[in-house]
Amino acid sequence: MIRRLPLLLCIALLSVPLFHVSAEDGLPKVELSASNLQPRPIEDLTSKSVPRDYAHAWQTMAQALDSNRVDLINGYFTGFAKEDLTSRIEEQKKANIHVRYDDRGHKLEALFYSPAGDAMLLRDRAQLEMQIMDGDKVIDREQLNIQYMVMMTPGADRWLVRALRATPEEHR
Amino acid sequence: MRRGWIQLGLIFLAPLACLSAASAQQLRAPAQVTAGKDFSVSTNGSGDGSFYLIGPAHAAKREIKLGGEVQVRGEEIEKAGRYTVIACAGSQCDSATIHVQPDAASRLSLLVHPSRVRVATPNAISAVAFVFDKYHNLVFTQQPVNFEVTSTAGSTITASRPSSDGVAWVRLTSASKEGPAKIAASVGKTTEVRIVRQVASDACNLRIKAQPNGKRIVVETDPVRDCSGNAVPDGTVVSFTQVGPNGKTTVDAPVKKGVARVELPAAGPSRITVASGVVTGNELSVGGRP
Repeated sequence: MIRRLPLLLCIALLSVPLFHVSAEDGLPKVELSASNLQPRPIEDLTSKSVPRDYAHAWQTMAQALDSNRVDLINGYFTGFAKEDLTSRIEEQKKANIHVRYDDRGHKLEALFYSPAGDAMLLRDRAQLEMQIMDGDKVIDREQLNIQYMVMMTPGADRWLVRALRATPEEHR
Repeated sequence: MRRGWIQLGLIFLAPLACLSAASAQQLRAPAQVTAGKDFSVSTNGSGDGSFYLIGPAHAAKREIKLGGEVQVRGEEIEKAGRYTVIACAGSQCDSATIHVQPDAASRLSLLVHPSRVRVATPNAISAVAFVFDKYHNLVFTQQPVNFEVTSTAGSTITASRPSSDGVAWVRLTSASKEGPAKIAASVGKTTEVRIVRQVASDACNLRIKAQPNGKRIVVETDPVRDCSGNAVPDGTVVSFTQVGPNGKTTVDAPVKKGVARVELPAAGPSRITVASGVVTGNELSVGGRP
């Protein structure tokens, strides 16, 4: 056992950065289906960047709503989605409320991609745990299977969330 | 013995007390309301409590008297989506979910591409209309969206498309005459308009004529037009090629005031051809057969 100790130490040391990368990555899982997309077919690059950027949007939104930091939503939100989140975060801060999400993944379905490629409408079926907190006290905890309608538009180097709205399942 | 009875009593009464406290904060809220419209949430119980309303663009906490109605103002729920209402008495909280639906469709966001298009090009223009209510909520229920295209000549083409998931769209063929086309989309009483500039297409039926001028030949095109008779824009490049005893010479000239003109050397018999883009025109023989 003593002879194996250096080997075990090496494994332990090597595994630390691996865990760190995984923790730093921390992006929610997003799967995109574009089989029913119309009228414009999705490009290869877009089919990779939309789920990646949507995952980043959720990650930053969750961090912003938990820490009540408006600056965190600048990267992946624009238009009304950004205005709405900004307003909510400012009001959360005033009321000493914050919301914590445990994100268990998103199934994105692309519904409409404009002919000029300047807007995409998607439906997201998300699995989340949401905790609403007043200071340190949890005042509500919910397990959610929730449907969102999402509008994304291309920015300089990424797709941005322009509208994000939870809808009742019977919407479609 | 007496202490034992008290302990037994507590064991039975404690859950009842908890149950009573839990039911004290029971909320009754509507499952769906319309954006911007007042509504109320009723609470059970008595005493002081806290009421929370958390939605897509709003988060608020206020102190309430339990057992009454809590009024929520329309301005607190202008953004459609999922709202959570929570009432707490001490550490006991109860919550309910409310879906806020958009108000009636009353706004449009119209995207038209491209802003400049060649005439008579099939499906070259796309018009996409996103349907919103007055609070900028996308309206996902189906709405009839009317598209209307008015050309310079005054002729109008209309098409109605039902929106699906908040969006309606059409593809349009550009008119055969150049000039601005007005593309409008309307829902209810709201209309949005965009202008697309339709410009002449490639040159068509390119023709040249030559005239000797001393030791030179002046070669000039007829007015350069596309196949629909629209004058091509000034600056369109026309290439003149002369093949003669001294070999092959090509001179490019831009269209000015509708025609392109060059002077070539009159060095014996030669053949002159003309082209613009992929379009070629007639051929001239000057100074006898080359």
